[in-house]
Amino acid sequence: MSPNDLKYHKEHTWARIKGKKATIGITHYAQESLGDIVYLELPEVDTEVDKDAGIAEIESTKATSPIIAPVSGKIIEVNEELSESPEIINEDPYEKGWIAVIEMSNTKEIEELLDPKDYDKYVEEEAK
Amino acid sequence: MAEKRLIILGAGPGGYVAAIRAAQLGAKVTVIEDTEVGGTCLNRGCIPTKALIASAEAIDKINRAEEYGIDIKGEVSFNLSKIIERKNKVVAIQVKGIRSLFKSWGIELLEGRGKIKDVNKVDVALKDGSNKTAEGDNIIIATGSRPARLPIFPFDGKDVITSDEALNITEIPKSVLIVGAGVIGCEFAFILKELGAEVTIVEMLSHAVATEDEEISEILERELKKRKIKLILNTKIEKIERGSEGSLTAVLSDGKQIKTEKVLVSIGRALNTENIGIEELGIKKGKKGEIEVNNRMETNVKGIYAIGDVVGGIMLAHVASTEGIVAAENIMGHSREIDYNIVPAGIFTMPEIGSVGLREKQANEKGMDIKVGRFQFRGLGKAHAMGEIAGMAKIIADAKTDKVLGLHIIGAHAADLVHEGAVAMKLGAKVKDIANTIHAHPTLSEAIMEASEDLHKMAIHLPKP
Ligand SMILES: Cc1cc2nc3c(=O)[nH]c(=O)nc-3n(C[C@H](O)[C@H](O)[C@H](O)COP(=O)(O)OP(=O)(O)OC[C@H]3O[C@@H](n4cnc5c(N)ncnc54)[C@H](O)[C@@H]3O)c2cc1C
Repeated sequence: MSPNDLKYHKEHTWARIKGKKATIGITHYAQESLGDIVYLELPEVDTEVDKDAGIAEIESTKATSPIIAPVSGKIIEVNEELSESPEIINEDPYEKGWIAVIEMSNTKEIEELLDPKDYDKYVEEEAK
Repeated sequence: MAEKRLIILGAGPGGYVAAIRAAQLGAKVTVIEDTEVGGTCLNRGCIPTKALIASAEAIDKINRAEEYGIDIKGEVSFNLSKIIERKNKVVAIQVKGIRSLFKSWGIELLEGRGKIKDVNKVDVALKDGSNKTAEGDNIIIATGSRPARLPIFPFDGKDVITSDEALNITEIPKSVLIVGAGVIGCEFAFILKELGAEVTIVEMLSHAVATEDEEISEILERELKKRKIKLILNTKIEKIERGSEGSLTAVLSDGKQIKTEKVLVSIGRALNTENIGIEELGIKKGKKGEIEVNNRMETNVKGIYAIGDVVGGIMLAHVASTEGIVAAENIMGHSREIDYNIVPAGIFTMPEIGSVGLREKQANEKGMDIKVGRFQFRGLGKAHAMGEIAGMAKIIADAKTDKVLGLHIIGAHAADLVHEGAVAMKLGAKVKDIANTIHAHPTLSEAIMEASEDLHKMAIHLPKP
């Protein structure tokens, strides 16, 4: 079960919303399908990002893939710890493995994200 | 037929190769060289940089020893003067090799500076101070190139330097600013970083190694980032200011300033066309100062040929050598034309890049109908076994005929691997031919086979698209 306090994007990212700020990361399903994460190219603070677009590249021993922004806005903080220890994402994708904080430019976008229940159902379908 | 006498000006990979081929075909050859046989490539280019990269890679492996299950007790350190010494030894062995090849083919080497006096006469100021005139039926100009120096950079050979001086540094600076993220700039970035310097590269264009396929550039940019080499794109250096205690400050086009201990300028090459007599003889030059030649390597003056960096175009050692062979064979009565369609190239970054043929963007700009196949090195058992999983092979084919149009590889040994694509292109082979060729397991070459399969959506080791 995905954590209840988060919103989810179909490209397997999550957002923890506090006012205009969204902390984002990748889901448990994403980290599990990627396998051991060896490198994360962190986005730069102050860059503007668009919902549904790639904001960073993640590399595992199996694949490299983009991380898709769940909301639009400006990156105001990144988790520097991940540049030295990207494996934190494997160990704790929803807490210590957060990737960035986005200051949202359009909070309405939140409505387009999935609730935990729906995301779990979506993942179940995709895994079939 | 009387014996042909050939004079060659410059003994770089253009000139020395032309000399040997002409001698093989029966010419009496005189080569004039004012520094050392092997030219830029052997003494100040390809070979010394690769020797330094080998040391950098050894440091990298030692730093990652733990990954391979090896504990290193005590501190690991390196000795810069021994690294430089090793590089010099590598160069010296090759120099000796060329000199003994010259001897075995009866090629005369005049050590000094040459200037063409007439279509069959070259004056030589020998190193020992004496003068000599060489006479021949034909002349090949192969004087090569040197680092370009723009006046905005206050070169002093110590703090503001070119690749020539960077090859012989005596201490590792705390910080280096590299101007230009081309092949030379990027190769030095990895070397200097591994040796312990803080490295920043400033590049005018929107990508590092901008002449490569864009996806390859992007992967290299990520590898630079992984190694904490800072890359600033779309930015020019306006000027370099010298501070009081010898510190340098670079002023960028966006107004930002960067403090640095040393500046390495790698912004291109200037052609050695001055004071060699080409104006006096009326030899034509093109817009960029390159000597104009036809595809037989003939200049507009009958009997005089030009090859290598000095004719512009693709400035690589193996291109210079091929041009040298073409010129030599034409002089000796054969008929050969140079073909630039298939020129593989290597970039010796960490990891390497190897490429041949069309880039995807180029194909799209030409409106060509193409298909692309890709395979990541991290999908290969061999790459994991080696502990070198970064990289990708990308193959481009004509959508209708399936003929190979280009192969682009970044990853361990990419510069060696890329020749499979070059041979395929030379034979007009299809991507299917590569896919259907058995590739040994486990090898990095499997990336090329899988990429070829992927082009037809049939890669075994990729999930269903
Ligand atoms: C740092 C660096 C790394 C490089 N790495 C690679 C690489 O990995 N792969 C690759 O393919 N290429 C590489 N290159 C490019 C390669 O070195 C050149 O393309 C190649 O050397 C060109 O060969 P050439 O024979 O035309 O000229 P050169 O090698 O420049 O040789 C010309 C020779 O002529 C001599 N000369 C000039 N004028 C006179 C005169 N008037 N009289 C007598 N002698 C004269 C010069 O002293 C020189 O020795 C690199 C270059 C640099 C600078």
